[in-house]
Amino acid sequence: MIQYIDMHAVLQQSVSGLYTDLVTRPTGRVVRERIEQAIAGLGGAEGAGGAGGAGGAGGAGGPDGAGEMTIARIDFAGVGCIDYSCADEIVAKLLRDRPAVLVLSGISEGHREAIEPVLTGHGLAALIERADGTLDVLGAKGAAAALLDELVARRCAARRPGGTYALTLA
Amino acid sequence: MTRLVEVPAQFDDRSFDQFAGAFAEANKDAERLLFDAHAAEWASPYGLVGLLAAGQAARRGGSAGAADRPLLTAPTNPEVLSYWTRAGFFREAAELFEIHGKVPRAKAAEHSDVLLPVTPVRAAEDVHAVVSKIQQRASAILASELGLDPKATMGFAMALSEACQNIVEHAGTGGWVAVQAYHWRRKLARRVVVIAVADAGVGFRHSLEPTQSKRFGDRWGDAAALEAALVQGVSRFRDPGRGQGLAGIRRYLVRWDGKIAIRSGTARIAIVPKWDEDVPLKDGLPPFPGAQVLIIIPEQGSTEP
Repeated sequence: MIQYIDMHAVLQQSVSGLYTDLVTRPTGRVVRERIEQAIAGLGGAEGAGGAGGAGGAGGAGGPDGAGEMTIARIDFAGVGCIDYSCADEIVAKLLRDRPAVLVLSGISEGHREAIEPVLTGHGLAALIERADGTLDVLGAKGAAAALLDELVARRCAARRPGGTYALTLA
Repeated sequence: MTRLVEVPAQFDDRSFDQFAGAFAEANKDAERLLFDAHAAEWASPYGLVGLLAAGQAARRGGSAGAADRPLLTAPTNPEVLSYWTRAGFFREAAELFEIHGKVPRAKAAEHSDVLLPVTPVRAAEDVHAVVSKIQQRASAILASELGLDPKATMGFAMALSEACQNIVEHAGTGGWVAVQAYHWRRKLARRVVVIAVADAGVGFRHSLEPTQSKRFGDRWGDAAALEAALVQGVSRFRDPGRGQGLAGIRRYLVRWDGKIAIRSGTARIAIVPKWDEDVPLKDGLPPFPGAQVLIIIPEQGSTEP
């Protein structure tokens, strides 16, 4: 199962509906806690929902049954700016404190500029899902390569003709 | 008895130490202060937010009572007065000072180079408001007048956000931010955008002391604290993700050939681009409370001085 998170909706729930920017640590903390609740299946985020997939409830287990992998697809569409503090508080801490795979979509170059150095600094990695469904890696090189390998091994992602990768789950 | 603090006629980061020296001298014996700006000819956003920080620090006994507020004589030059008003200075100053002199009514700075008037920053909510406002106002100027890639607007907002958060997270009190675009004839003969942030809080040394002073030993002081924060990216928090803010600002400024200078206590540190002649670190300056941050982003192209 892939947990879908609408970041803009979570943000609107967390701060005044007037703002569309992910800035400041307190905001990042509230947003992360809501995402954590959603990932844990508590329905903490209004913008969260599950998309049925091969892994069944609770995680995306490989066909060989080797453990479970939590995948959260976080959609940044509608989010204005994200600052370094929020990138650390949300993306880095979600990866650091809770072993999950984060697939970020709707990402602009500005979002990427804030998130990438934060992840690299922590030796962490996430995936970016482009509009055409292909995956790109973000963060520390070694961690990014390992992440992609693991997703392929678990058949959560597959190599496409042309050498690109895409998620196999909905 | 009232002690006089003269506001420099050209009040910016270069004359700030002169102002800080006068302030430190006058503030020694807890007398009421009079900030004399009647002869002011020009003030940068850095000067304006710095003057507010001085007003905050000069409030006697921490009380908001009228008799405990310092005095301020407003500039007499109508153009200067008009700019200080458009820049939002008097709106904030009214709470801090007993103002003497004729102050015009505040006018909205819709079509001016004031990208963000002097704005108080006390909490995370204020940072949201600042970032939201600057993105609406600054994108056109950053792209068309400074030649920055339109994508750089988001980086600018990030830098501004992190500079403001420094107040919320470390100062222990409120502060102010102002953003302005202007033609910098003296230095570059080109346009620049300037972010100025100031507070009269605890300052970097006090904020970092519990976690960093032992590491520096005898070297510990305002200069070492600034070096630790800006160059080494350390934070008072033990969380390994902290210290991202100033590091992020540095990355942004390296990319756009910008400058950052931070003054706190008796020291000042700067990341100096090629077009500037500032020194990287100054110590032994006149003491001034809190922290004052200056960020300058020049028009892109050749920046030979």
